[in-house]
Amino acid sequence: MTTTTYYARRFNEYMSELWRRRDFVWFLARGNIKARNASTFLGLVWWVLNPLMLGLVYFFIFGLIFPTQRDISYLLSGIFVFHFSSQSLAGGAKSILGNAKLLVNIRFPRLILPIAFLLESTFGFLASLIVFYLIVIPFADVRPGPQIVLLLVALPVQVIFNIGLAAATARLAVPFRDITNFIPYLNRIWLYCSPIIWPLTMIDNASPTAQTLFRLNPMFPMIAVYRSALLGYPLERADVVAMVAWCFAVGILGIAMFIKYEGRMVRYL
Amino acid sequence: MSTPAIKVEHVSVRFRPFVDRRPTLRRSLTTFRHKETQLVEALKGVSFEVQKGEAFGLVGQNGAGKSTLLRVIARTLRPDEGRVVVRGRMSTLLQLGVGFNAQLSGSRNIYLGGLVAGLTKNEMDERFDEIVEYSELGEAIYRPMKTYSSGMFSRLAFAVAMHLDPEILLLDEVLAVGDEGFKQKSKASMHELLGRSGSIVYVSHAVKQLADFCDRAAWLKDGELVAIGDAGEVVSEYRDFVQRRRKELRAQGLA
Repeated sequence: MTTTTYYARRFNEYMSELWRRRDFVWFLARGNIKARNASTFLGLVWWVLNPLMLGLVYFFIFGLIFPTQRDISYLLSGIFVFHFSSQSLAGGAKSILGNAKLLVNIRFPRLILPIAFLLESTFGFLASLIVFYLIVIPFADVRPGPQIVLLLVALPVQVIFNIGLAAATARLAVPFRDITNFIPYLNRIWLYCSPIIWPLTMIDNASPTAQTLFRLNPMFPMIAVYRSALLGYPLERADVVAMVAWCFAVGILGIAMFIKYEGRMVRYL
Repeated sequence: MSTPAIKVEHVSVRFRPFVDRRPTLRRSLTTFRHKETQLVEALKGVSFEVQKGEAFGLVGQNGAGKSTLLRVIARTLRPDEGRVVVRGRMSTLLQLGVGFNAQLSGSRNIYLGGLVAGLTKNEMDERFDEIVEYSELGEAIYRPMKTYSSGMFSRLAFAVAMHLDPEILLLDEVLAVGDEGFKQKSKASMHELLGRSGSIVYVSHAVKQLADFCDRAAWLKDGELVAIGDAGEVVSEYRDFVQRRRKELRAQGLA
């Protein structure tokens, strides 16, 4: 084995190296989950408790106190899908910044760390979908229908989007740690701009420009597709196209940014 | 001569860390940017080769650039100039506990440590029992690593590193940890590695042991290679220098 380059130069070489290291990704994600379970008193119960509390907090505020959204199935589907993506911003940065010692000492494709984080958070998202049905079946009289197979497409596509987000924030947060301070506020703005705590009819009266702006949010088509899958809302072809386009664009851009920067990363850790 | 295991060619590394100067009234009035940076040349055109079957030592005072050089050889840090060619599978023991998760058991960490170095789960399955036996941790292997002493930590790290079939081993001061018996055992393993024409790069401040163990050595001073050659000679040159420096400093203190 002769090596003069730091990391494989070409994208497909890099990807095949990642694939070769899939055992490591799996072990890293499982290790983090195990460590988290072992270090908390309630352990596995948190997998249910976390999404439950997240949902209850938003229902309490936006369903009961300022009732902008009384439809709990609409609210929760939005919250859980949104949370899955929004947590990737902080999680991606943390996966690199929190493993400085490892990165400084051992050579491996660095994208493994954000991907392992994503694998971990995917388990969390799946748990939240179970919690979702446990709430909406009795309280909102919703049954999962045949459209649920749409999840088989929506979930992998959103995962690509999330990897892109995680990789991009990781790349930016290494030289500019300031970004990690900014992320919570960014997430809050993003939440308010997404069709979660307000009904879709709210923007019907808005000007065409404002409507277009709202629809430019990648969460807009994403949540729409998920609501078709989870709640049987009519599926718009435009939403599917927009979601897939957004996810691949963000995914590829984020990963490319990350890989390009990888060789210089250790200097800033 | 056969092709070297490690070839370091004109490697330079520069950093630009922030400097935290004591603020004076004048400086706070004259500078708007309070974050100053300063150019630090950690390595200045370093070149050398490490042959197969050779134990190569690196000596130098704190801040001379030894760790930076090891990171460049480990190829986690890309140099600003120059290049490094490495032939062979590499194991690194540069810091204690790297690649381990202290919350998890020793046995799970054996897998983590092997996988991070590039092995597959199957390859680790084959090595697992041997690693446990080598580490002499017994039942403690099933306890979380946060309950380990630093000696146990380093024993496990060393056991994992030596079972990855390395052809090149990078070591930073880790030999100092662990009890006398384990030290002997680890030394024997390293001699065995050298016997299979593997190479070792060893950094330590315990220069006497380093001179005994290594065939050749290099002395790094302020990012430059000032001496390279027979380990005994380089080390005695370095020791003379350190003693001279100490005398000078003492004389200054008395004056």
